[in-house]
This record gives sequence, structure tokens and C-alpha cells, in this order.
Amino acid sequence: MLIQAVNLQKVYQMGPVRVEALKDASFQIEEGEFVAIIGPSGSGKSTLMHILGCLDQPTAGRYFLEGQDVSAVSDDKLAEIRNKKIGFVFQQFNLLPKATILQNVCVPLIYGGIRGRRRQLKLAEQALEMVGLGNRVHHRPNEISGGQKQRVAIARALINNPSLILADEPTGNLDTKTGKEIMNIFRQLNKEGHTIIMVTHDQEIADQARRVIQIRDGLVQKDEVIA
Amino acid sequence: MIWEILRMAVDSLTVNKLRSFLSMLGIIIGVGAVIAIVSVGSGAQSQVTSQISQLGSNLITISPGIRRGRSGRISFTATDVFTMELAEQIQRNCPSVGLIMPNLQTSGLLIAGSTNYQTQVVGVTPAYQQIYDFYPARGQFITEEHETSATNVMVLGSGLAQELFPDTDPLGKTVKLFVRNRHLLFVVVGVMEEKGTGAWGNIENQAFIPASVLMKKINNRKYVNGYTAQAVSATAAKAAVGEIEYFLTRYMGDPEKFRVTSQEQLLETISQVTGTLSLMLGGIAGISLLVGGIGIMNIMLVSVTERTREIGIRKALGAKSRHIMAQFIIEALAMSGLGGLIGIGLGWLGAAGVAKIGGWPLVVTHGSVLVAFSFSLLVGLFFGIYPARKASKLDPVIALSYE
Ligand SMILES: Nc1ncnc2c1ncn2[C@@H]1O[C@H](COP(=O)(O)OP(=O)(O)OP(=O)(O)O)[C@@H](O)[C@H]1O
Ligand SMILES: [Mg+2]
Repeated sequence: MLIQAVNLQKVYQMGPVRVEALKDASFQIEEGEFVAIIGPSGSGKSTLMHILGCLDQPTAGRYFLEGQDVSAVSDDKLAEIRNKKIGFVFQQFNLLPKATILQNVCVPLIYGGIRGRRRQLKLAEQALEMVGLGNRVHHRPNEISGGQKQRVAIARALINNPSLILADEPTGNLDTKTGKEIMNIFRQLNKEGHTIIMVTHDQEIADQARRVIQIRDGLVQKDEVIA
Repeated sequence: MIWEILRMAVDSLTVNKLRSFLSMLGIIIGVGAVIAIVSVGSGAQSQVTSQISQLGSNLITISPGIRRGRSGRISFTATDVFTMELAEQIQRNCPSVGLIMPNLQTSGLLIAGSTNYQTQVVGVTPAYQQIYDFYPARGQFITEEHETSATNVMVLGSGLAQELFPDTDPLGKTVKLFVRNRHLLFVVVGVMEEKGTGAWGNIENQAFIPASVLMKKINNRKYVNGYTAQAVSATAAKAAVGEIEYFLTRYMGDPEKFRVTSQEQLLETISQVTGTLSLMLGGIAGISLLVGGIGIMNIMLVSVTERTREIGIRKALGAKSRHIMAQFIIEALAMSGLGGLIGIGLGWLGAAGVAKIGGWPLVVTHGSVLVAFSFSLLVGLFFGIYPARKASKLDPVIALSYE
């Protein structure tokens, strides 16, 4: 079992106002799954992703990743888990604007302690090849299209060979055609054995996953496997 | 890893060159000022001291005491205390004193044929030569005989000889001295050697006459302004000062009527004064370094805010707090270090320019360079820590959603 979420709760206390972003979420995800998380805006999808991605800790409940309880580890340990086990793909791409594409893809290698400039570049080129971006690697993010940016982000997410890829609305900023191309990449990666969890608004995109978890008001409303 | 972080820091500095330069400016000015001030200070000091020691060694000056005016009392300078006889007594009673001569001089117009020249006329005894290590190049100096018989003879400084006798040999010629509405005729018996430019540039243009002539025929007073004495050796200078003070106090009954200063004391005073001055100016330069540090901190804080999202991305990709911390501290260090280097270069240039104008050798010690550079790094470290800590403590989720 890759992921076990047990009664996850996340509360934001803003002065007198108490926001229960996540009320009670429990589920399990096996290795090799392709899960779509859908739900209306403000239902707690991103909050859940942040916890699953070890960017944030739950207020209550427990989260096991590969059997390890990560609800109670240090910030440094969390950073290490993010680096080694998790690859993020964001709606806003979140590339470093001043670095080249190749440098962007290398960042997780640097923090992962992979030494040797040449080795890093070789791994980065391989990852870019996988998402169909063999050329233009010396350009900066503002010189390429949105679809290409998202490919770079996927390459960056893949480079440390993580056990889990988390994507929060990866097609939200793309047109339909480009969105489909990106989805094809995710489907291909899933076929190759990568576990993917993807947040989306779009039912059509959710339909391409093999399991859909529906969230509403911080609660898991529906959890179904698509045939 | 450290190399990668270093490269990232340098990259981010080069992206915004003008801003990086402006934030370095305080450090540049501060370090430049420190280097220049220390160098100019030590250059000027070494020039002054070398000129003073050039004057002759183990010199002791005996001058009238100055009593400060206290409530109701007017300050006065003791006069009418130093006579030629007293000089002889000092020499007899103070075994560490080798030579002693009166300090006597006046200003007058020298006339030779159709040329004339306004200059200092110094009343001397033969001891002058050994005391100031200054000898005639041609002819002779004032002798004991000239002195006792008060003969009207004159020795010319080399520059003065050139002025008065540009084409002829001055030896044996007659020079008219016009002083205090009186004319006196002198026979030139010697011309002094050239001493080269020193602290007292006019030494080459002075005229020397017997002290007795100046006292009896011009001043009409038996008192002199003071004495210059020479200790028997450099090591005896301190003892000589003590002996003179002891003798004069007993003789006059009042230690405030005279002052005895040795060359050594003079040098000490000068180095103290220049040291204090350098320290003060250095302190001002240090404040500018501090201001430079605050400038760096300011820019770093702006940079942390601007790059909140970048910090969030880096954290999401696995950067630990200390990686972010190191990145920003290295950026601050690179900025202050580079600013320090530029400042050292500019300060050096400035010091070289001033040294050229002042005519002293350029002295930039390794010590001052090292201190200025490490101080600028320290400033960068100190003022970089707070922004770096701020950056490293950012919550990744909040940083990622920063617009
Ligand atoms: N840092 C925060 N402080 C306070 N409230 C927050 C914070 N982050 C999220 N929330 C609140 O928690 C709730 C869930 O937010 P979340 O971002 O998880 O929703 P979402 O399902 O991702 O919505 P969307 O589809 O619009 O992205 C919202 O009501 C939101 O306002
Ligand atoms: Mg969201």
C-alpha cells in the first residue's frame, strides 16, 4: 500500500474564524493507481494535495506514505520525502523564471545530493526526452508555450524517480488540445507504472483516470473505480 | 551542493546588476574610505617623521614655558630667561648634553649689488653644524673666533647664494643686511651644502651669522629665544632631558618657566596625533560600512519578498531550511565581498593619487586590506542572516500561493 489516509483533518484558524478546509478524509491508494480528485471550488482538494505531498501537516488524523507515518516528522525530513518520493505538477507551472529549462529540471537533483554536473545534465536530458522536449533546453520558461512549460514541470517531477506524482489542475491553464496532450503524457506515465493523483474540475479529464474520489465540504463523498 | 548554491547566488545577482551594484555602494564607499584613510594617514606620518629625523638625531629643544591664563590671570610666555651664559651652565651641569646652541633668528633684507632677497637670518655658533648635521660645501662656517669677536661674517644657504650671486662666486663678496631700519655689512665666508627638500624647505635660503652679532648689533638684547641641545648619544636623549629639567628647575625655581622637548617626544606626539586622526576618520568610514550593511539587508529583504514564490518552489522540490538560508547568506556575502573588493581597488587608487600629490610613498598594508575585506564580509554575514532566516522559515504552501 502506497498511501493510507486516516481521518485527515485540516483547520485554519483565522482570528475568530475557524475554517475547516478538510473535515474527515480517509482512503487508501495502491501503487500504480491513477486517481482523479474532483469537487467544487473550495471543497478542500488543494488542501488534501498539500498534505499528501508532505507540503503541509494535517491538524488531526494520520497519513502513512509507504507505511511511514509522516504526520509527525520534522520539516527537514518532510523536505527529504518531497525530494525523493514525490513529484509535483502545478496549475501555475511554478518553474524558476530566471533559470533555463535544463537548470529547472536539475533543481530536485541538487537538493537530492546527486553530484556531478555532467550526471545531472544527463538525467535532466533523459527526463525531458520522456515528455517529448528534447530540444529548446537552453531556453528560459518565458520563451516557451504553456504546454511546453507543463512538460518541463512533468520532467522535473519525474527526475528523482518518485513513488508518487501529484498534479493540481495540471491542465487548468491550458487550452483543450494542449490539455489532451498533457493528459496523454500522464496516461503514458501511469502505464509505465507511475502512481498519479490528479486534482481537476473537469469531468472529461477525470474520466481518463482509473479511479475518481469526489470531495465536498472537506469530506470524501464518493470513491469509485472506473472500469 | 555548496557550489550549486554559490552559482545560484551569483546568477541571481547578475540578473539585476544595477540593483546589486547600488546595494553594494555603501560597502564600496566604506571599504574604499577605510583603505584610503589608513594609507594616507600612514603615508603622511612616515613622511613627517622621516623629515623630522632628517633634521638631526637626538635633538632636544629648550623653549620658554607658556603659562595658561587661569581665572583672572593673563597667559604669558616667559621671556628674558635664556642667556648665552645659561647655555654654558647647562652644558657644564648636564653630562648627557653633548652640544648646545642658542635659538636666535630674525628676518631681514639681503642686498648684493643690484639684487636683494628677503629671508631668515639665523644666529649660530659652530655647534650648529654637528647638531643639524649641516655643513658648508665651500669656504667655512661661523667659527669660535667670529663668535667671540662678533665679526660681521655670513654663510649663505645654497639656494640663497644662487639668488644673490647667480653668476659670480659669492666667497669674499660683501652683502648688505637691512634689518630694523639699519644697514650692516657682512663678508661672505662660506656657502652651505645642499640638503635636498625636507620639512623645512627654506633651509636652503637661510643666511647664517654669528649669534653674538645678532644679539649685540641687531637685537641689542642679551636674551635668546631658547636652546637646541644634542645628547651625547641617541640612548642618552632621555637622560639629557631629565638633567636639563632638573638643572633649570633649580636654577629658575619654577618648572613652568621653560619646556624641554626631545625629538623622540615630538615624534611620539606626531604619531599620536595622526593615529587619533586616522582612528577618527576610520570610525566615520566604519559607520559608512554599517550603513552599507543596512543597505544590503534592505535589498535582501526586498529580494526575499519578491522571491517568495521561488522559495516555495524550491521547498516543494526538496530544499531544506538550511539550503534556503545558505542561498541567501551566500548572496549577501557575495554582494558584500564583491563590494569590498571594488572598495579596496578604489581606495587604493585614491590613496595612490593622494600619495602622488603629497609626494610620499604609497603605503597600503596587507593588514588594512585584510581587515577591510573581512569586515565587509562580516557586515554582509551579519545583515544577511536576518533576511535569510526569514526566507528559510517561509511556509511552503503559503509561499507557493504568493502572487
Ligand atoms: N491558508 C489558508 N488559510 C485559511 N483558509 C484557507 C487556507 N487555504 C485554504 N483555505 C480555505 O480552505 C478551503 C479549501 O481550500 P482549497 O484550496 O483546498 O480548495 P480547492 O478545493 O482546492 O478549491 P479550488 O478548486 O478553487 O482550487 C477554502 O475555503 C479556503 O478558503
Ligand atoms: Mg485548489
